Amino acid sequence: MNRKRAILVAVLSTAALSLLAGCGNAKKEANNTDKANADTVKIAVAGPMTGDNSEYGIGFANAAEMKAEEWNEKGGVLGKQIEIVKYDDKNTSEEATTIAQKIVSDGTAAGVIGHFSSGVCMTAAPIYQENKMIEISPSASHPDYTKIGDYIFRNNTVIEKEATASVDLAVNDMGKKNIGIISIMTDWGTNTSQVVKDIVQNLGDPDVKVVAHEEVMEGSDDYTPAITKLNEAGADVVICCGMYNLVAPVAKQYKAINPDIAIVAFSNAYSQQLIELGGDAVEGVCFPVIFFSESDDPIVKDYIENYTEKYGSAPSALTSQAYDSVGILLTAIEESGTTDHEAVRDKLREVEYPGVCGVTKFDENGEIDKEFVKVTIKDGKFEKMAE
Amino acid sequence: MLIQQVFNGLALGMGYALIAVGYSLVFGILRLVNFSHGSIYAFGAEMAMVFIGFRFGIIPGIIAAMILTGVLGICIDKVALEPLRKKKSMPIASLITTIGISNIVTQLLIVFLGSEKRNFPALFDFGSVQIGHIAVSSTQIMMCVVSLILMTVLVLIVYKTKIGLAMRAGEQNSRAACMMGINVNFVISFTFFLAGVSATIAGVLVGSYYQIVYPNMGYMAGLKAFAAAVLGGIGSLPGALLGGLIVGVSESMAATFLGSTYRDSIAFIILIIVLIVRPHGLFGRKGITKV
Amino acid sequence: MTERIKRLINKEDDCCQDTIKPGAGTLHKIEVFTDKNKFSLGLAAAALLIALPFILGDQYLLTVIVKIGAYAILAMGLNILTGYTGLVSLGHAGFVAIGAYTASLLSVRLGADFFTATLAGMVVAGLVGVVLGLPTLKVTGTYLSIITLGFGEIIKMIAMNWATVTNGTLGVKNIPKPSLFGFDMTVGNFGMYYLMLALVIITAVFCLMVVKSKTGRAFQAIRADEMASTMMGINITAYKILAFVISACICALGGSLYATVIGYIDPNTFNFDVSTLILSIVILGGMGTIRGMFVGAAILIAFPEVSRFLMEYRFVLYGVILVIMMRFRPQGILGWKSTLPYKLNKRVREEIEKTEAKETAGD
Repeated sequence: MNRKRAILVAVLSTAALSLLAGCGNAKKEANNTDKANADTVKIAVAGPMTGDNSEYGIGFANAAEMKAEEWNEKGGVLGKQIEIVKYDDKNTSEEATTIAQKIVSDGTAAGVIGHFSSGVCMTAAPIYQENKMIEISPSASHPDYTKIGDYIFRNNTVIEKEATASVDLAVNDMGKKNIGIISIMTDWGTNTSQVVKDIVQNLGDPDVKVVAHEEVMEGSDDYTPAITKLNEAGADVVICCGMYNLVAPVAKQYKAINPDIAIVAFSNAYSQQLIELGGDAVEGVCFPVIFFSESDDPIVKDYIENYTEKYGSAPSALTSQAYDSVGILLTAIEESGTTDHEAVRDKLREVEYPGVCGVTKFDENGEIDKEFVKVTIKDGKFEKMAE
Repeated sequence: MLIQQVFNGLALGMGYALIAVGYSLVFGILRLVNFSHGSIYAFGAEMAMVFIGFRFGIIPGIIAAMILTGVLGICIDKVALEPLRKKKSMPIASLITTIGISNIVTQLLIVFLGSEKRNFPALFDFGSVQIGHIAVSSTQIMMCVVSLILMTVLVLIVYKTKIGLAMRAGEQNSRAACMMGINVNFVISFTFFLAGVSATIAGVLVGSYYQIVYPNMGYMAGLKAFAAAVLGGIGSLPGALLGGLIVGVSESMAATFLGSTYRDSIAFIILIIVLIVRPHGLFGRKGITKV
Repeated sequence: MTERIKRLINKEDDCCQDTIKPGAGTLHKIEVFTDKNKFSLGLAAAALLIALPFILGDQYLLTVIVKIGAYAILAMGLNILTGYTGLVSLGHAGFVAIGAYTASLLSVRLGADFFTATLAGMVVAGLVGVVLGLPTLKVTGTYLSIITLGFGEIIKMIAMNWATVTNGTLGVKNIPKPSLFGFDMTVGNFGMYYLMLALVIITAVFCLMVVKSKTGRAFQAIRADEMASTMMGINITAYKILAFVISACICALGGSLYATVIGYIDPNTFNFDVSTLILSIVILGGMGTIRGMFVGAAILIAFPEVSRFLMEYRFVLYGVILVIMMRFRPQGILGWKSTLPYKLNKRVREEIEKTEAKETAGD
């Protein structure tokens, strides 16, 4: 009885203590508003570090840390060392609002790289905007995201442009006419599939049409019913709106039914894991990307080599966009000579940053505009498509 | 297309049935819904992938994973559930414990192996058999065959062996069983072991069917398999098989005729209808009132 | 006979010391102390709660506190059903979703203000509560829990597929902040905190009233023994359905508050994990107590926040906490039975005094 009581008291007091400690810490940080005198420049990286999508958040964090190390070796920025502070949002809006509040209450971060999915970004962005905190998302693609305010940027192409490129790939490069769409049931997937439909309709070519659209759920790996329907509708090309973890099984299961099917995907499926997971089935899958890992550019080669050496796997397109985002932010800080958010924000619109995803320049809306590279998979490797 | 989907559904259902067996076994003896079973299934599949990657060969890898997962099941029982039974605490405390354990197992898998979907080798890929208009892949056939063999083995264990007799005794009245000299705690551990082993086999089969494994694969599959177990009558092995098949086929049908977005809930809709008509499932016995 | 009743009525602790188990001494002393100083303690707590935003002055901490409040409301809702009536629900996220969706859709699409929208959400949830309560006619125990689990999943599916109304997976964005007489309540101007505080207090008082009423006693009788309750003439089905309805309404209220705090909801906001989280709060805090709901919510919501430094291990530890708590304190942290004498209400007390007077006169 007494032992139990002792344990209970111990557990309770630990809980209470940790609560107090947590509050105390937050307080301490909040009081530390004198950021000009801080000895490091802090950059917050927010993304899913736990849960289903943790690979992406961890990718962001890895990329950011690598970039920070590179700068730190050269002496940091503004003569200070760069510190990456990671925040886990589990890719849920609930946690994202809390984190955004935490980051702005803390107030020491020079900027935020992140939030992963568009929906989550758009929940957090108003809080950043309200408190004049810079947010650069490497992955958000919803058109409304950057409209939230002038502190909100994205280092990713807006979905309309990318979808246009994908449709172009399917229709012009591959010469297919009967488009099937398979989309994952998330905000991104639903939105993207709608955009693709609109684009196809506006092509003005009566021969090209969407013959079927199937939505599939996350958390189920059996896509055969959807695929069977697409196949019976006579699709000769499938635009697959999902991450690599949708594209690979769809490719496998589709090719078991119809080996001749052509598959077009999006840049967020561009990952070494697509090839590992899909094997032979993903041969010939095409997508438009702004980051091309097999490029001959020495910057890209070094980056891929270092990243692979450091973290044991090749970086995905989104990870590389995060890597560049940190670079842009740091360049803007250095060029404006301060971490003041307003000055950095203005500078961000001027910087032309040569990174691993080509030259990045934000326009007045915080958007980037880039040429897409059309990439396909051949012999287990990504390859530029012949023009 | 209809018959084709029925076949796909049967293969799917066999996977659910194997997971459902785990729920059924544990519920039968402890009257406890073991919510950690979905994560145990994912654990088994991930471990099989890891061990196969060690190049000891596929069969030893799978066996190692089976044993490890079975041991995990025993550990869960010994560390977290047995003390609760000893204290005779509320049944709901055990339920919350299993939810906590499910969290621990899944999150640890994510920490050590990453959340990404990984490639699982196709174990029985010998092409497909064409019967009229229907293409049945060898993997599907193997899934059905292996599941049926495993089911038979389980039924034999439960109904023809001494330990099975002890399990059934413990299921009916654990105190009386204890008085008859049965080591009830050993029987419970054995049940958890069996549940772990069957979950691993399910994980390996489903993993090699889709050639994908990931830490969260047990979440939805676990819930649906649980629905299957209840549907068939929780605590009954043939019930688990039948429940699994019903869930698998109806899911396949729903995905085809209603759209893929309805597939996850169809299992629950059927479940609710069945429970209202037959409150203890298709093969379930009456008189179970605990939570 | 009268001696015993007198002792029961008498609040002085020395009278009932003998009825208390040894070991519960400290607890008893605390209880007696709080009971005696009810007024001053209450005043201090009220002052602290009102002053809290000014003391903290930190948006992040306030957001967390508001979230704790929202979950405390949800837990109080489930507590009526699980704690007092003994029906375990594994799908309460469904009611939260109904409340959150109805309220936020009404305010986003039709411009209804927060309070009207919330009431509408509660009504809808209550009606659905009747429907979900109906199977209790036939189904009991674990099987009822399983039906609620299915219910939660089905609500999620409806939210996902009924895209013309719910916006499907795109979710409901830009849920307006509640406003009262033209004053917009946000976390920043503390309005959200006070709104949460008001709603929590209203809910707590309402729950207390329900529990102390005839209805509440019927609920507890059903939990203790259904058969005996039937024999006592309690209409079990009606009361079970009533418990579902009350519980659903409270959860809808919490859901509506939650939605406006976060500002964005989508079908995946209300998954099985939320149902188990609410249930965990109820069990961890102490089933069948109202005080426990606050402690449970505070621990389970604050824990992931204070343990952020653990990064990827924080949800592992979250599971560990659940397991350890259940291992060492399965009745919940504050789940003790009150050691204070049962308080009879005024009328009963008068009645007893009357009989007593008669008895003395008779002697």
